[in-house]
Amino acid sequence: MKLIADHVTYQYNKGTEQEIYALKDVNFVIRPGEFIGLIGHTGSGKSTLVQHLNGLLMPDAGTIYFDGEDITEKGYDKKKLRSKVGLVFQYPEHQLFEETVFADVCFGPKNMGLSRKEAELKAYEALKKVGVEEIYFDQSPFDLSGGQKRRVAIAGVLAMQPEILVLDEPTAGLDPKGRKELLERIRKLREKDGITVILVSHSMEDVAEYVDRIMVMNEGRLLYDAPTKEVFSHYKELEEIGLMAPQVTYVMRDLEEAGLPVSTEATTLTQARDEILKAFGRKM
Amino acid sequence: MIREITLGQYYQADSVVHRMDPRTKLILTFGYIVSLFLFTNVYVYVCAAVFLLVAVKACKVPFRFIVRGLRTVMVLLFVTVFFNMFLIKGEPLLTVYRFTVTREGLRMAVFTSSRLVMLILGSSIMTLTTTPNNLTDGLESVLKPLKLFKAPVHEMAMMMSIALRFIPILMEETDKIMKAQLARGADFESGNLIKKAKSLVPILVPLFISAFRRANDLGMAMEARCYRGGEGRTKMKPLKYAARDYAAYIYFVIYILLIVVAGNWIPKFW
Amino acid sequence: MGIIKTSKLIFDYIRRDEEGNVEGITRAVDEVSLDIRQGEFVAILGHNGSGKSTFAKHLNAILYPTEGTVLVDGNDTTDDEKIWEIRQCAGMVFQNPDNQIIGQVVEEDVGFGPENMGVPTKEIWERVEESLKAVGMWSYRKHSPNKLSGGQKQRVSIAGVIAMHPKCIVLDEPTAMLDPIGRKEVIRAVRALNDVEKITVILITHNMEEVVHADRIFVMEKGKVCMSGTPKEIFSQVEALQALRLDVPEVTLLAHELRRGGLDVPRGILTRKELVDALVQLSKGKADVE
Repeated sequence: MKLIADHVTYQYNKGTEQEIYALKDVNFVIRPGEFIGLIGHTGSGKSTLVQHLNGLLMPDAGTIYFDGEDITEKGYDKKKLRSKVGLVFQYPEHQLFEETVFADVCFGPKNMGLSRKEAELKAYEALKKVGVEEIYFDQSPFDLSGGQKRRVAIAGVLAMQPEILVLDEPTAGLDPKGRKELLERIRKLREKDGITVILVSHSMEDVAEYVDRIMVMNEGRLLYDAPTKEVFSHYKELEEIGLMAPQVTYVMRDLEEAGLPVSTEATTLTQARDEILKAFGRKM
Repeated sequence: MIREITLGQYYQADSVVHRMDPRTKLILTFGYIVSLFLFTNVYVYVCAAVFLLVAVKACKVPFRFIVRGLRTVMVLLFVTVFFNMFLIKGEPLLTVYRFTVTREGLRMAVFTSSRLVMLILGSSIMTLTTTPNNLTDGLESVLKPLKLFKAPVHEMAMMMSIALRFIPILMEETDKIMKAQLARGADFESGNLIKKAKSLVPILVPLFISAFRRANDLGMAMEARCYRGGEGRTKMKPLKYAARDYAAYIYFVIYILLIVVAGNWIPKFW
Repeated sequence: MGIIKTSKLIFDYIRRDEEGNVEGITRAVDEVSLDIRQGEFVAILGHNGSGKSTFAKHLNAILYPTEGTVLVDGNDTTDDEKIWEIRQCAGMVFQNPDNQIIGQVVEEDVGFGPENMGVPTKEIWERVEESLKAVGMWSYRKHSPNKLSGGQKQRVSIAGVIAMHPKCIVLDEPTAMLDPIGRKEVIRAVRALNDVEKITVILITHNMEEVVHADRIFVMEKGKVCMSGTPKEIFSQVEALQALRLDVPEVTLLAHELRRGGLDVPRGILTRKELVDALVQLSKGKADVE
């Protein structure tokens, strides 16, 4: 299921004096099974872009194709699209509303027109996938801890069995432990179930650790769209638009400048460690 | 992205009316509205119109903005004119089919509709030239005497200003929750009325929970900043009458004297 | 005598069912004794649910101890007569930037605290100006808070607290909801308050990069203080921190990994420069041997 953005442009306050381009001529192709990081500082157009992927916003110019079909065409089934392209908003636990955890997760599949039994089955699977234990199923979602609520909310989207999962800063506000656990779950979803993942994040370390390809947004434009290493090699340009490379990249740069024989390509801790050890003639 | 939400209908400009104390504007607007109901006499209405025109000129708000306020009462205005014109009995002027326009009817129609128009325009000037914040301050101060009757004037004013601060935040939140539920396949448009009402539950429940959470947080933050009600509180921006306020009051008194004279001693000619 | 002193502070959350019967008791804070000196920059680290926020709320008399005492500038927080003095002395900044701004204009919000304290009008204006300048938000004084970024909103909240002239400011995860730029802004403002205005800072956070400049760090777990010391002391115990599943600054972690790989890098490295210098030193030594 390919997702293609073709010259997508979107304006806020169209037709008024305060017209702002939120997206300007954005093009990309997302292929099945990819793990993509979407970065950019607040207000760069990330959130607007993400809402185009499942038809919540419609481009003012350009089109989006999902599975070969133009989603901007009249009569296109957006409900179906939203089940295929699952979007998890920031702080998704704020959307929980049902009396029990299980009922809340059933909301999505029921909206897809599944029978009660099927919906419950999907909900069960989804809750298992995000690691919510059965003892919580009948509890009120509002009695859970922050990290658990977040996982239930993500299960609510997963239960629709999306082929592409878009997560807008899924770890915001979680503590280090919760963050790591959640990201590992997402990685597993992709490895086991083959779901395509688009991760919007402010943490360069997380992006470097998990994704294969990075898209960088700035002022509504897609500035870079390339493999992780390549994007972070533009660390100077990234700094100019209020972003950074991972910490270790800077360490490697400094070491190279100081005359140590290291390659500056490392973006994760493990890579940096191995590279430095190699320079000292050691191995892990 | 926070959308532009204009609360009330404040129009930014630098005029003597804008700078006036909100209490002056509140009291004068109230007084003006009362004055419109004192007499039914064409001279009085001319006086009222002149008073209003001066205010319109002084407030530097484009006339079309002030007139906008009339749109919402258009239907009411039309109904008033219609009923007055055709249903009041008296000396017939014109008959169309079964309907007769009478002299008395026409007179009443003109009076009540111009009364309504001036009332709306007058209060529009107040809301256009006063920020909601300022208005709240003014109300608190004007209604202070009610404290004698144990009315929680300060609390009401504080509530109003908090509401004003949080309305845009909650609007944005509603939008966000709606989108999140749409992303889960919710449908807010199709179906009959009951189904539509039911489909609002996934928006309203999270919205209420969020509002309660915010209220709880805000309460704690206010307490942490030593808030303990209106007692012993000082004001960063105390309301102060200036020369322009006294001038406005004098202007208003002259207007009242004029309409009293016009209403009592000048004979009605129709 | 420290500005804040707690001795054997215990706080129990009592859960009740619908009829008001006690369902269970959770001990959120368990015998915490701290002594914080005037002018210190103290950081409290811990997971969500480790009791750090509950502890913080005691310093401002929002919560009262179940057992033990909390003294703020010598005043017991359970003393009802001193409560306003305590709240003025220990200001508090919360996590959610939207839910603690009361005013509809930046300057009015900063004036809210002094208004409540009954400060004369003229002095309120002076305080508002000095506070907004201290956090670098003076040029935004006429703005609506709704149009500011998260970092700017938090700086306004900080200004709102310093306008009350506190001796101490408690920040309860002030950066948790911000993006990296907002985080930096806020931390920079907080550090300036500590350096320039000599205000005691108690920063509660789970972001490790924010605490490397603190004078002292306390790590909380299950309501207890389980580690304390200078950043160097704390961060040289990488294994202990990892066992608590807390983050360690990237650079510290890299240094730790290199040690495990057999390189003789010193413990407790906190900054990039320290690590690079150490490695350069090592490579020189190695070259000499060869």
